[in-house]
Amino acid sequence: MSMEKILDKARLNDWIAALAKGGDWEVHAPALEDGVWTYKPVGDAVRMDHPNTKQPPKGFSFPQREVFFSFEQIKGEAPRLTQVMPDPKRRAVFGVRPCDGRGAVRMDRVFADNVNDPYYQARRKNVAYVGLACNTPPAATCFCKSVGGSPVSTDGLDILLTDLGDRYHVAAVTETGKAMMAVAGSPLADAAAADRKQVKQVHGEAVAQPQRAVNNPEAAPAKLKASFNSPLWEELARACIGCGICTFLCPTCHCFDLNDEMTGTVPIKGNRVRTWDNCQFPDFTMHSSGHNPRENTAARLRQRVCHKFQYFHENFGMLQCTGCGRCVSECPVGIDIVAVVNKVAEHVA
Amino acid sequence: MINIQDIRDTARDLLAKGEVRAVIGWRAGSRGMPAEPVVITAPEQADELVWDPTCYHNLALHLVEDRKFLAHARKTAGAPIGIIAKGCDARAIVVLMQENYFKREDVYIIGVSCEGSGMIAEWKVARQLDGAVPTAAAFAGDEFAFATAAGEKRLPAREVMADRCLECRNPFPKEHNVALGEDKTGRALEAPFAALARFETRSEGERWEFWQRQFDRCIRCFACRSVCPMCYCEECVVDSINIAVAPETTAEEKANRIRWIERSAVKSENITYHMTRAIHLAGRCVDCGECERVCPVNIPLRLLNNKMEREARERFGYEPGASIGGPSLVASFRDDDPGAFIR
Amino acid sequence: MSHNPPDNIYLPKLARIAHIKEEVAGERSIKTFRLEFVNGDGFDHQCGQCAMLSIFGRGESMISIASSPLIKEYKQFSIMRVGRVTSAFHDLSVGDTVGIRGPYGNSFPVDDWRGKNLIFIGGGCGLAPIWPVITTAVAQRANFKNITVFYGGRSPRDIMYRAELEKLRSSADVHLSVDKSEEGWNEFCGFVPSNVMDKAPPPDNAIAITCGPPIMIKFVLQNLQNLGFKDEQIYTTIENKMKCGIGKCGRCNVGKDYVCVKGPVYSWAQLKNLPQEY
Repeated sequence: MSMEKILDKARLNDWIAALAKGGDWEVHAPALEDGVWTYKPVGDAVRMDHPNTKQPPKGFSFPQREVFFSFEQIKGEAPRLTQVMPDPKRRAVFGVRPCDGRGAVRMDRVFADNVNDPYYQARRKNVAYVGLACNTPPAATCFCKSVGGSPVSTDGLDILLTDLGDRYHVAAVTETGKAMMAVAGSPLADAAAADRKQVKQVHGEAVAQPQRAVNNPEAAPAKLKASFNSPLWEELARACIGCGICTFLCPTCHCFDLNDEMTGTVPIKGNRVRTWDNCQFPDFTMHSSGHNPRENTAARLRQRVCHKFQYFHENFGMLQCTGCGRCVSECPVGIDIVAVVNKVAEHVA
Repeated sequence: MINIQDIRDTARDLLAKGEVRAVIGWRAGSRGMPAEPVVITAPEQADELVWDPTCYHNLALHLVEDRKFLAHARKTAGAPIGIIAKGCDARAIVVLMQENYFKREDVYIIGVSCEGSGMIAEWKVARQLDGAVPTAAAFAGDEFAFATAAGEKRLPAREVMADRCLECRNPFPKEHNVALGEDKTGRALEAPFAALARFETRSEGERWEFWQRQFDRCIRCFACRSVCPMCYCEECVVDSINIAVAPETTAEEKANRIRWIERSAVKSENITYHMTRAIHLAGRCVDCGECERVCPVNIPLRLLNNKMEREARERFGYEPGASIGGPSLVASFRDDDPGAFIR
Repeated sequence: MSHNPPDNIYLPKLARIAHIKEEVAGERSIKTFRLEFVNGDGFDHQCGQCAMLSIFGRGESMISIASSPLIKEYKQFSIMRVGRVTSAFHDLSVGDTVGIRGPYGNSFPVDDWRGKNLIFIGGGCGLAPIWPVITTAVAQRANFKNITVFYGGRSPRDIMYRAELEKLRSSADVHLSVDKSEEGWNEFCGFVPSNVMDKAPPPDNAIAITCGPPIMIKFVLQNLQNLGFKDEQIYTTIENKMKCGIGKCGRCNVGKDYVCVKGPVYSWAQLKNLPQEY
């Protein structure tokens, strides 16, 4: 599987052009718009000096809104349903950080488990992630290493780029990645022994960078399980304002809502639409009767933390959190999942 | 300059004497900075309290949360609740009292003046510190002092202060039980509504294009609503049908509830949400700027609310949060009002 | 149907309302709908499973299938009017077409219960989810020993499946109850758990299956334990708000379990180990 190449940074755009032309790929990369790093379709200049994007790339396979089917029904008659499947265009996403690559692995598990989700799969099979190793000092909120990841992890990626100053080291991870590297007109050159040596050193240094940490993550699932009825949750959630930042920006949060949106009334016309939903919103679990199994912020914070560090582990054998730190840096009141897990673990015998 | 010990002593004393059942304030965050809101209930917790230029949060929100919590638990409050309040926090409390959300005697206000300073904007600090990660911030006269791994760094306060603080003319909490720090009411580091005035130099077409782009980006996390002390409605126009459903809510009521705004985060729905919210805050928004601070996708929401605020000031001489007993903008009218609809 | 590929789990099949029966009137009225798949494009189910019913333009609701799997011609649903979709169902007429997808969830292990005494304990609309087990057991009467059914409502007018329950008396012991008695009521007066204590079914070689309001289940459970029932002998079904039915939308979980996949049927031995988030 090993395939390593070198790309002169000045020729990055040539590669992207080759992918668009020779491989029929629509290329996306991080762009700074109104102060927000966002994945955008690439024009002629690609910057890859972003810390991480504000939103993870999960929207490429799981957009915030998508139509499942449209319906039309004359009252008293049978409805006509028309399935709406995603556009099958291939999309290559550049600059994906390793934490978000690992996020994709977790999303893939959810949407393939039990029953395949046809809409997710239709998109996912046409998305390739071209990762970018984190070899600059980590952000204050990064903690990928303590949740099983690494700033140079290739999990979930098709290609991993490593910034070597004036050039990128380009390593194939999947067959799709290999094909992208070998696309007609590709400016990639073979990696020399010196390049291989340098990338090893760069990766070693990146991994050695100190980060904040979830203490003893292997014990977290059991500790959380034992903490379910702890009064600590009330205290930890005391400042929580119940917004949806932590989950909407999370690379592994997958909860959604299904609604019918009307476009006409006679005949009844509309779309069945999937939108992201959020376990931090009070109506998320509320029964029609008004009964709510998770009726306060403490129960909802516990759900988010236990989902990441206990339930997902019980179901899939891995922590769901990838340590990207978005929920920590973006929380309006400073709720910090690392501190929460550590505190709960401390308080449980 | 306020000595943090004075804040701690005041809170400790009030709790020890049982004059308040809790004090809402700030403590150091898990990473040092920024500070985070905290509710302390025992005198010995007073030493956790901090006061620094990362005490952004409008703590009036937590008064609202406290009241909702009590109502839900069907508890009565007993002693008043204490709150440490900046100028903007105190103005929010005044509006809430003006709207009879709670009574003056239910709240003990420990006012803290921002004096000639204010809160930082983290993005401005990041731009100036060039990669260094601050772990603490402190007031230092006209400067802010940041602790970083490379030692203390000082930055001129005006260069890294949040826009809302630069434009603030009321950094002193006029409504208070006890106040700490100097009263510098009327100070102006920047002209009021400066950001709005700058924005309005753009043409109508440019402004429309600008807002389309901003609203298109909204992810409807509702942080702007959640963080706003004025957004205390039990039932919000944007929520799906189940919110505010009680066992006694009839099927009829639930079934007939109109979905004014769809769940989809698309431009049309997002615009309706933000416009509805802006109108609902007219004459109520005290420009604490929290909505703009917390927005994860940088939508400059202050511009919307400032616009409403300036209209109210210019047309009616109205300033939200000025007086508990005074009439509120939208719930009062004057006999000489030229509008005929009101009669 | 050409636009309905079998792999798209989210695309409902179409079903026609063949029959509607008003079970209970009033504020929270209950109606039973008999649905027949259009063009025979349907699915089989097992006792205890649910289906997601659609009214296009209103949305979807997860409802337990109240008819026996032995009946292939139609599926029956007893729907209480509580919200947006269920209210819309109550406004429909015979001949109207709705959407249906499923079946979802696990099922009662009825085959494992051969040769045992079955005790059913239902309250309010909680009779519907266990009705398929009752009717299946009765249809295979020789496979089981004693069949006992406890069922109660607030008043005689709140008793659902009234005629069916009367018919059931020929093959099972039926003990009805009402919380508040009225003239003409000559069965038990009091709550369902008290009726269970009053008749005191023995736990030997028995399985108890209960469904109803949470408060009823709580006391039924206590009383069954007092009568000597072990945790493994008690079964119930739980419900949570659901959107997808396939363990992805994330809201019906109780601990690690998505109720739409791992539930809704649990023995008390299983349920007592899960957090109480239902």
